[in-house]
Amino acid sequence: MSCYITGCGAALPARIVTNEELAPQLGVTPEWIEAKSGIRERRWAEAHESASELAAIAVREALNDAGARAGQIDYLIGGTLSPDYQVPGIAPLVQRTLAGCGNVPAVDLRVGCCAILYSLQIARALIESHAARHIVCFGAEAQSKGLELNERSAELSMLFGDGAGAVMVSHQPHNSANDFALRVDDVLIATDGNFAEDLGVRAPGSGNGARWLDTGQMEAGLHRPAMNGRSVILHAVRKLSEAAAAITTRNEINCAQIDLVIPHQANANLLRSLSAQLRIPDERIVSNVARYGNTSGASAFLALTQAKREGRLRPGARILFLAFGAGFTWGAALGQVINLPSGC
Amino acid sequence: MLPETVMTYLHDAARQSRTALPDRNTSLFAAGVLDSFSLVDFVTLLESECGIRVADAELRPENFDTIARVEAFIERARMN
Repeated sequence: MSCYITGCGAALPARIVTNEELAPQLGVTPEWIEAKSGIRERRWAEAHESASELAAIAVREALNDAGARAGQIDYLIGGTLSPDYQVPGIAPLVQRTLAGCGNVPAVDLRVGCCAILYSLQIARALIESHAARHIVCFGAEAQSKGLELNERSAELSMLFGDGAGAVMVSHQPHNSANDFALRVDDVLIATDGNFAEDLGVRAPGSGNGARWLDTGQMEAGLHRPAMNGRSVILHAVRKLSEAAAAITTRNEINCAQIDLVIPHQANANLLRSLSAQLRIPDERIVSNVARYGNTSGASAFLALTQAKREGRLRPGARILFLAFGAGFTWGAALGQVINLPSGC
Repeated sequence: MLPETVMTYLHDAARQSRTALPDRNTSLFAAGVLDSFSLVDFVTLLESECGIRVADAELRPENFDTIARVEAFIERARMN
């Protein structure tokens, strides 16, 4: 039994933060940011915008795109590194804003930039087990609110942008308003917790001593995103290459048969390394990192929506999703855009 | 001693970064010879030129921070 992505949506804050605006705050030049990351600008949420608000916009758009109503949703799965609150999660906050949505399960996944893969895996399992028929998966971030803006944090703070993306996943392709359906054929996900401290936000947390947040932890910056960038890229390139090889091999295809790669948008240099390792030309790798930066858990959802809007998800196209994030978590998903009979 | 191809890579990287290759105990990262992105290529080169496979658990930047550490790492990897 398969499941199908029948619609997708995106939401971005209106505020554009260019390298020219950000660089002086980080003690670097705009050119340095672009050379290191390929990023020219990113969107940052205003004070009144939260991750759940961006998510709700993206989810509504995904529902519209799929020709579905909120009342049809059986399950909501959300991923974020920058939730509105520590508890409850972001998914209940999105559920309450969707007019007509029932009191359905609404859960958060804390898997960083791999939100799309983990949520698709779970959605697929829920559909195959007949626990649900229509599931909304989303990723949303307002990471800019946690960034430190000084020279010490330049390599990290130059990267992140805010935004949200969502998909409607259904047991059948027939509810699509736009004759679009992407069949999810396989999902491969993995974790290596030995590198948990190399990427993440440590506080508030019960692993930091007597209090889950105190002034000492804040002075040490534990409440801000932190990244061992060298470790992350070393593992990301290797794990993503291995995941791509594994998922294509077990589905008896090779990377040359992939029409479009939709990766987590970490930074342009990582995407280039990936392109070289997989021997897939740049033009077959969807990239929005120059305009939106690294939008963490939202990024692959945003890239998928962009690819659909640009008409790159043609019938028959084989799509490879790739993501790597905190944990470390990583993986791949394989799908194919299907031909829908007219009138479906 | 690192293979000549590896040393040539480091000399080229230093030249591109308009710096000199530091002594064997000084950080290649701090000197600007390696960064996050060239590190991926460097590790790939070490694997092919030194006939080793860097295990996931050993895939840590500190193992490649100085020429001395790289040499020690290669020696350990060859013994395992």
